[in-house]
Amino acid sequence: MAQEALNKKFNWGLMMIFVSVFQLITFTAPILADGFNIELFGVFAGYMAIEWLYFIIAAAAFKQNNFELEVIAFLFSGIGLTISASVYADFALKQLISIILGLFTFIVLLAVLRRTDVVMKLRMPVAFAAVGLLVLNLALAKYNNGALNWITLAGGRISIQPSEIVKLAFIFVGAASLDKLQSTKSIFKYLVFSIGCVGALFLMRDFGTALIFFFTFVIIAFMRSGDIRTIALVCVAAALGAMMIIYFRPTVASRFSTYRHVWEHINDTGMQQTRTLIYSSSGGLLGLGIGNGKLRDVFASTTDLIFGIVCEEWGMLTAFMIVIAYAFILIYAVKTARTTRSAFYAIATCAAAGLLLFQTSLNIFGVTDILPLTGVTLPFISRGGSSMICSWGLFAFIKSADIRTYPMLSKTILPDHPLYPPDVRVGRRSRRPLTPPPVDEPPKKKRTDKKPQSTRQTSRDIPVGKKSTGSAKKSPVKTAPGQSPRDIPISRKKTDGRAKR
Amino acid sequence: MNNTTKRAYVLYAFLLAFLVGLGAMFYAFYVHGGEWTSNVVNRHIYKNGTIASAGAVYDRNKQALVYSRDGKRIYNSDPTVRKATLHAVGDTSSFIATGVQHVYNASLSGYDFVNGVYNLKKYNRGNDIYLTLDAEVCKTAYKAMNGRKGTIGVYNYKTGELVCMVSTPSYDPENKPKNMDSSDKYTGVYLNRFLSGLYTPGSTFKIVTAISALENIPDIYSREFSCNGSYSTGDGKVICNGVHGKVDFEEALNHSCNSAFAVIANELGSAKLTATASELGFNTREKIGEINLVKSRFNVSSASKTDLGWAGIGQYTTLVNPCHMLTILGGIANGGTVVKPYFVKSMVSPSGEVTELGRTETSKTVVISPENAEKMKKLLRSNVKNYYSDSRFPGLEMCGKTGTAQLDTGESHSWFVGFSAKESTPYAVVCVVENSGSGLAAAGPIVNTVMQKICG
Repeated sequence: MAQEALNKKFNWGLMMIFVSVFQLITFTAPILADGFNIELFGVFAGYMAIEWLYFIIAAAAFKQNNFELEVIAFLFSGIGLTISASVYADFALKQLISIILGLFTFIVLLAVLRRTDVVMKLRMPVAFAAVGLLVLNLALAKYNNGALNWITLAGGRISIQPSEIVKLAFIFVGAASLDKLQSTKSIFKYLVFSIGCVGALFLMRDFGTALIFFFTFVIIAFMRSGDIRTIALVCVAAALGAMMIIYFRPTVASRFSTYRHVWEHINDTGMQQTRTLIYSSSGGLLGLGIGNGKLRDVFASTTDLIFGIVCEEWGMLTAFMIVIAYAFILIYAVKTARTTRSAFYAIATCAAAGLLLFQTSLNIFGVTDILPLTGVTLPFISRGGSSMICSWGLFAFIKSADIRTYPMLSKTILPDHPLYPPDVRVGRRSRRPLTPPPVDEPPKKKRTDKKPQSTRQTSRDIPVGKKSTGSAKKSPVKTAPGQSPRDIPISRKKTDGRAKR
Repeated sequence: MNNTTKRAYVLYAFLLAFLVGLGAMFYAFYVHGGEWTSNVVNRHIYKNGTIASAGAVYDRNKQALVYSRDGKRIYNSDPTVRKATLHAVGDTSSFIATGVQHVYNASLSGYDFVNGVYNLKKYNRGNDIYLTLDAEVCKTAYKAMNGRKGTIGVYNYKTGELVCMVSTPSYDPENKPKNMDSSDKYTGVYLNRFLSGLYTPGSTFKIVTAISALENIPDIYSREFSCNGSYSTGDGKVICNGVHGKVDFEEALNHSCNSAFAVIANELGSAKLTATASELGFNTREKIGEINLVKSRFNVSSASKTDLGWAGIGQYTTLVNPCHMLTILGGIANGGTVVKPYFVKSMVSPSGEVTELGRTETSKTVVISPENAEKMKKLLRSNVKNYYSDSRFPGLEMCGKTGTAQLDTGESHSWFVGFSAKESTPYAVVCVVENSGSGLAAAGPIVNTVMQKICG
């Protein structure tokens, strides 16, 4: 009971107030930079209104009681918005729209992911749409900063980076197809899809994103097969392929020649890295203050180099806390993966969190010359709509794996589930003795019981959440409110990770 | 299902790699932050490639050599002081690599790991740096050089404080001449010859050969050398500067007899001479404060007998850094306790906090035994007393050695190295005047002028 009390005590409303106070302080800097900027005031006020609107609706109407990811996303999006607005005031509204689109993606994706049957149906269409999008990108894209990864619409006013959206599809398809059947055919299909995506990115010369896709592929493939040798083989093959590309295409090699030699190319190819290093250290641990930096004047400062702006103006401590948050999200994902309803969620959450941290690594280590510069964005912080939508989407995958996200479904935890008796704290298996609830009749045999509906109606069905077990006992035959027959019950016994059909 | 989720723990390996990378990144910021911040492209400190805002540099009498006002870097008001202290202070574009404005830029900008350059932005000034140099003495030295190229350095051999450090040619940083890159007058103008110059030592190297003789030849004082104007080694000849007849060890040094020292060098052999040179800090890297000195070179590993003879009198391939030579002289003067020279004394933050940047330190690279130091001191005193004459250095009780370093092309470099043996004026001096012939004639008067200014 103490555990439950601890879990309930966390006051997300208070947390949101803290976030708002932080944002009130930081938002004033760009608003008051050149006198009072009414337009920026509107953007920031709108942003805070959206945050609270989401929080209140989710908490009050949907009885949601976990907001870890949303709070992090709101905080980081706010930091990104502040930096974008303070460097280019004109882009603030665009960035706000990006955040709204991201939040919308998050909500829609969460709703879709709730229904594994829908996920299974959407698998192939999404795969085809993703490849189609990349092919369209290749066909339409203009040469843009050395890579062909942009599509420009509406006369140049809107440009989107399809590969960011395809990242979501990649995890969606990967987790779903490998979850369903471990047949050779299924794996082969996913392999073809992966090669298609990575190949398209290579043609676009977007090596950073190609690497991210490859890393994600390795996570998904390993999570499903567990075969270290196969994965090692794939990695070696990829490394050999990369080496051959570098060998036969000197233009590619020249892109990496600056690596570890940035100070020799201080005013050409090493410009971005050296400026990031110089201005980040100029900021020190505590930073120079929003708007007082000089890195903002360097090319791509609010996209690729935004980590340097955070270091310089907000301080290396803030920068450290942002990137370490991604590390904690990965731990959170690995822990929640232990308690998911199906392997689909486990794979999706690990792939999404791994992708986030990998992309973060490529970004921050690229601009500080620890790794070669690949020009990928820092999730949530970097300016740009596609990247923002992708970041929110990845959070949806991570959140979907948390059993608290769909509280109604969690009510179907059965006594043979490792989580039984229900303890909704993340990643924590109950150490309480497994005392079966009082039974009136002997439990049915699970193996013969294919239909979830009938399983749910046994007296062993213990709901989770606000309802006490006592009240559940009073109406053992009733389906929990809000529960549809298509919802999948949670039972791990002898199902070996495959979702029941 | 269980297997699948257990496999998720593989991600912890990636997490570990991420944390290692993160550690490496912040470690690099911690270690290199100051150096990176001082880069000329950092627009917090530099404007158009020149220092705009940073702390001031003062001499020992609190005379400002350079300071910032309203985002502009302003040098001392006296043009001669500006030229005389240019190499110590450094230019604003970091062409002078050993200048304080380049090497101590992180201190001048007030950089620290926690605050970055925040204090510079807040107070519009960084930390001030105090030097041990005396601008007036430097000015006198600069004037005494009288347009000739070379260097002069004077330091207190008991405390290590450099009082004078001038390198010529120099220029006025407030009115940078336009023809600097093309004119011969300004060859090597960005080089601080005192810290980064390498010269053939000529006869001043006989001090090293003499120390080796004192170490290795017990009856050296009772030896007699005969000089008929040259010394034949069997495979060649070492030419002497005169015909000295029969001389003992002391007289040989007095007259700077090449024949005698070529004999000594050959008797010692390359191994022993190299050993002494190494003890005295040849072929070894040294720093004063944060500033790297160029290392003196002595290599006789493939020398013939004649070559070794020439090496013993400071010719052959031997090259010496003036600051290094000064340290050896200081060690002799101080009775074997070798004190390292330094000129960057302290740093004062805008809030008045003082950080020591340089202090009295004994050298780890130059080692002289107290007995040999005493003997050398007597020999060098004898040089001035019996040969150069005290009238050239009145009231200083000067000890020293001249050098006339012959070059393959052009007039010889003039050297004078020495020190005042008086307890009240513990100063050692090194002076090199390029292409000016006899050491005593060219360098001697400059040394006297500067020493009189300091000690008088």
